[in-house]
Amino acid sequence: MVKDITIFTTDTCAYCSNVKTYLKAKGVGYNEINLDQEPEKRAEAHRISGALTVPVTVITRTDDSQEVIVGFNLAKLAPALN
Amino acid sequence: MNESNRHDIVIIGAGPAALTAAIYTTREDIDTLLFEKGVVGGLAAVTDVIDNYPGFSSGVAGLELADSLRKQAERFGAVIELGEVTGLNDEGDYKRLETTVGDIYARAVLIATGCDYNRTGIPGEDKFYARGVHFCATCDGAFYRDKRLVVIGGGNSAIQETIFLTRYASHIDILVRSKIKASNVLVKDLQPFIDQGKVSIHLGITPKEIIGNDNGVNKVIGTDKEGNSREFMTDGVFVFIGLKPNSDFLKNSSVKLDERGFVLTDSNLETSIQGVFAAGDIRSGATMQIASASGEGATAALKIRKYLEGRLHHDRLETRQFEVIS
Repeated sequence: MVKDITIFTTDTCAYCSNVKTYLKAKGVGYNEINLDQEPEKRAEAHRISGALTVPVTVITRTDDSQEVIVGFNLAKLAPALN
Repeated sequence: MNESNRHDIVIIGAGPAALTAAIYTTREDIDTLLFEKGVVGGLAAVTDVIDNYPGFSSGVAGLELADSLRKQAERFGAVIELGEVTGLNDEGDYKRLETTVGDIYARAVLIATGCDYNRTGIPGEDKFYARGVHFCATCDGAFYRDKRLVVIGGGNSAIQETIFLTRYASHIDILVRSKIKASNVLVKDLQPFIDQGKVSIHLGITPKEIIGNDNGVNKVIGTDKEGNSREFMTDGVFVFIGLKPNSDFLKNSSVKLDERGFVLTDSNLETSIQGVFAAGDIRSGATMQIASASGEGATAALKIRKYLEGRLHHDRLETRQFEVIS
């Protein structure tokens, strides 16, 4: 079961919009960290994902295990919501 | 085939050509499903600013244009499904699309899958992908605040995205294999950054390798026209070296492609399969302009409507004939 979802985004990232649109369509809530508004959190996004890119979606389950999905990757995102 | 997986029109893609076609078809209450594997809005959505799309006197952000097109299509009832089409089969009156969410059937299909950015294929490109090598400035530029960058390419995208990246980077080296092919307007927009010393253009440089370590990229090695090795110190590399068609899913279909993989159509934008149309950047001979893609989307929608009217008329005739005989 999903407990919490956080997405790292930027203002100009179209793939970020895709992730948000997909989650909204599935009726799943999320927290957003916009790196243009909070640039000091770029290092956190990099540390979590190992990548210098957005979107980074962090899915935390009720057992506190986490799955990190880099980019708009439906093949990973869709099953991760179950 | 059942009610839920059968549609009048399935549009493969959700870029400007696809969304414009959907605006036209859904506005006439034609059941339309769009199928998109990447980003809604296509390459337009990942472009910083679009200056030459009619109706926007001050230009428009690519993401904003894509979002407006999507909302307009959805206002009339277009449905956008996120997933991938992996095959297209001609089964007569209906075309069967193999997708990641199962088979979908359509009376008519519009291929509007557009293009994606080419890759250089040089060593280091795959190894440092998303860790120092990037293909989307609007997605990844924010990670390079006050850093040095290399942009590879000399076309419109390379220059447009370099201009975007100047808001973050301390300095950008543009490596161009032959000459600048971008429009004069974009080159003029870039000139102030060259004058400020923020951007340097290096002509005749062929990139050979991207070098880095566990912390990311630190330089690009290339050769000049004389074959001399040149090194460019950098924290990241953005690659914009032309476009490749998103047509791999058609390789096993009977849709004819040109030698570069673009879809061949007739003057009605119909492909080698009756009832399957193509519009936008994926079409052989396309001008790779967003305004042209939108125009082709509208044209394709009207041609598809005519095709469907013909099929429906044909179906009614067949039904009537059957009724008379029985």
